[in-house]
Amino acid sequence: MIKVVVVGGGWAGCAAALAAAKAGAQVLLLERTDLLLGTGLVGGIFRNNGRYTGAEEAIAMGGGDLFVAMDSNRRHKNINFPGHNHASLYDVVTMEPIIKKLLEGYGIQVEKKQRVVHVQKYGKKIQGVFVDGGDEIRGDVFVDATGTAGPMGNCLTYGNGCAMCIMRCPSFGPRVSLTGKAQVKEIMGLKADGSFGAMSGSCKISKDSLSKELKIKLEKDGVVILPVPERLQKTGSLGKKACTQYAIADYAANLVLLDTGHAKLMTSYFPLEDLRTIPGLEQARYEDPYAGGIGNSMRYLGMAPCDNALKVDTMENLFCCGEKSAILVGHTEAILTGLLAGNNAVRYCLDMKYLELPRTLATGDFIAFVHEQMQSEAGLRMRYTLSGALYFEHMKAMSLYSTNPAEIKHRVKNAGLSDIYNVCLV
Amino acid sequence: MNNNNISQCIDMNSKYCPCLLAAANNCIFCSHLKGEVICDCNWSGRCILYEQHWQYKKQDGDESQTLRTEEEVEFIIKERFGENTLILEWNVSPQLAAELTRIGSFVFLRQPSDPHYFYFPVNIMSIQGNTIQVAIETIGPKSKRIVEGNNNKLLIRGPYYNGVLGAPWIDNITDGNIILVAGGIGQAPGFPLVSKLMRSGNKVTALLAPGKVGQIFIAKPLEELGVTVHQVSSLRQFGMTMLREWLALTPDLIVSAGPDEQHYGVIAAMQGARVNIPMAATNNARMCCGEGICGSCLKKTRDHKMIRMCKQQTDFSSIIED
Repeated sequence: MIKVVVVGGGWAGCAAALAAAKAGAQVLLLERTDLLLGTGLVGGIFRNNGRYTGAEEAIAMGGGDLFVAMDSNRRHKNINFPGHNHASLYDVVTMEPIIKKLLEGYGIQVEKKQRVVHVQKYGKKIQGVFVDGGDEIRGDVFVDATGTAGPMGNCLTYGNGCAMCIMRCPSFGPRVSLTGKAQVKEIMGLKADGSFGAMSGSCKISKDSLSKELKIKLEKDGVVILPVPERLQKTGSLGKKACTQYAIADYAANLVLLDTGHAKLMTSYFPLEDLRTIPGLEQARYEDPYAGGIGNSMRYLGMAPCDNALKVDTMENLFCCGEKSAILVGHTEAILTGLLAGNNAVRYCLDMKYLELPRTLATGDFIAFVHEQMQSEAGLRMRYTLSGALYFEHMKAMSLYSTNPAEIKHRVKNAGLSDIYNVCLV
Repeated sequence: MNNNNISQCIDMNSKYCPCLLAAANNCIFCSHLKGEVICDCNWSGRCILYEQHWQYKKQDGDESQTLRTEEEVEFIIKERFGENTLILEWNVSPQLAAELTRIGSFVFLRQPSDPHYFYFPVNIMSIQGNTIQVAIETIGPKSKRIVEGNNNKLLIRGPYYNGVLGAPWIDNITDGNIILVAGGIGQAPGFPLVSKLMRSGNKVTALLAPGKVGQIFIAKPLEELGVTVHQVSSLRQFGMTMLREWLALTPDLIVSAGPDEQHYGVIAAMQGARVNIPMAATNNARMCCGEGICGSCLKKTRDHKMIRMCKQQTDFSSIIED
């Protein structure tokens, strides 16, 4: 039986494992920490702007399980906040066990607290990976879903230091890049000022620390917008943010709080004493990252060079997804690339032609567009998402943006890809 | 935690890390602290770059980096074997005494009136309370100075930890069958290793030879610890045959305390007996500073790396013979 080893249990890795299992492989998913979903444990926003189209495409292609799970566990539906329409918010507090159960239901072996530290390479192939402690795990094909954030030395060098975020490097050890260990030269993203990396764009405030009125409003509407006193506005920080879709002037003038179970604050970090001068936040305290007054995790350090089928360049049996595969932001994007990487991993083992999504679909156009942009240094300074900034504009210009599931289903059918992820290839 | 991690630099996770090498951007372990652009460590349990970062902050407040301390002590000659071998004893501060209980501990010694480059390294033989015993052979230009002119004062600098290669084996093994091979002056560093192994519930069989020292001086204390002791007059002539027979019973670990020739002899005996078991060996590299700075202890390994024997752990068999 074909054995697919997925390294990294964030949304991308979960999607890759799911797609590979659906295509008929035996799948092992290795996660460094004791929780799946990675930075998705802090995420929560989906179906906003072009992500709606992306999610519906995945559903039409037969890979919608994770979106269906999110839909079923959402706290709010169809909310609007600056620059964003028809967003849903899943509950970040309760999402993880649901996904774990879903994956195990497909027969995927999920192994937590298994940190991969090295690879066994033979020619252009990876034969196996070594987990911390020395055991070697063999496989036919590997998916690098290790992300591009951390470890804490990078946060210190390129950011404001370890802010004790959801990555929890001090407890579980640093993330190790599979691609890097296979001696493939990685790509590093740049900030607007040309320095490396980008800082995660949101943090969480404990909902119980909000004023009573604010908490009630947030739970009812899903979103609260608080004007920032002029003396605290800092437009300069926007260029350093990972999530360009939220790096708009509205976010400097306003604090946007979203109800994802916690109160998700749409800014990389905000000094606590300043935060507490804003009405309703007098007693606010951070939930994640714990030092949300100081900084946040640094990302886009070490992306894998890959083609549009998400096979890592120069390697034969290594695929990548999520942030690892391009400068992309968000778990919708992670899942879309994860599904493709997982499916193609199985195709590799069967000597089949790799699946490449056509540019008539938003997902295919997105992957191709980002890879084109990454050829230039200016492109490396941008971040790409279906939900805003440069790509969303491009998406609208190409008439790919749609919130009509029937229309999206029709497009997928025309591309000949209906239910493609549901086909058992083996 | 992975043994490989622990073994990369002996000072990691101690208060002496990050060290002068890190300050010079030549850290053995941290990729950032050797000038690379992204994190690529295999996790020591804490982030050395971070520790370095806090250290810089500390320096602003006039507190310097944690360096090894020097203490001036009076010593007595506890025993004398043959012409040149002495067992010295002295007291140190409780703090230094506590730090020297780790296996593989050694210190540098010199006469207080001598210039600092007279410092030479010596392994700790035993430590009880604040009282330390070491064995030295007064044959080199540095060691001879210790007892010249009825001197009874010493400057000691420490603690240093890389006195035994394969230290993680000794630290982690429990309920195992272990062989100690010790010859000559190597009996001194061998003794604390066996003490540690016996405390962890291991069964130790010792093969002792007098070597150039001309005397076996740890047989009695080892027997008191419950070690089965076999004494031979020459390891080369009689010991190695005996060792090959013992190796056929595949013990869990072999500890070689003595000169490099003895270590090679043990490796040859393992090859002869067609077994490959873990080996810990005393570190005999010539050292001058102990801090990784001077370069006197640099050795080349079979995987084409230069390692600093004063700090870096490795399998003795991976070192290319000089």
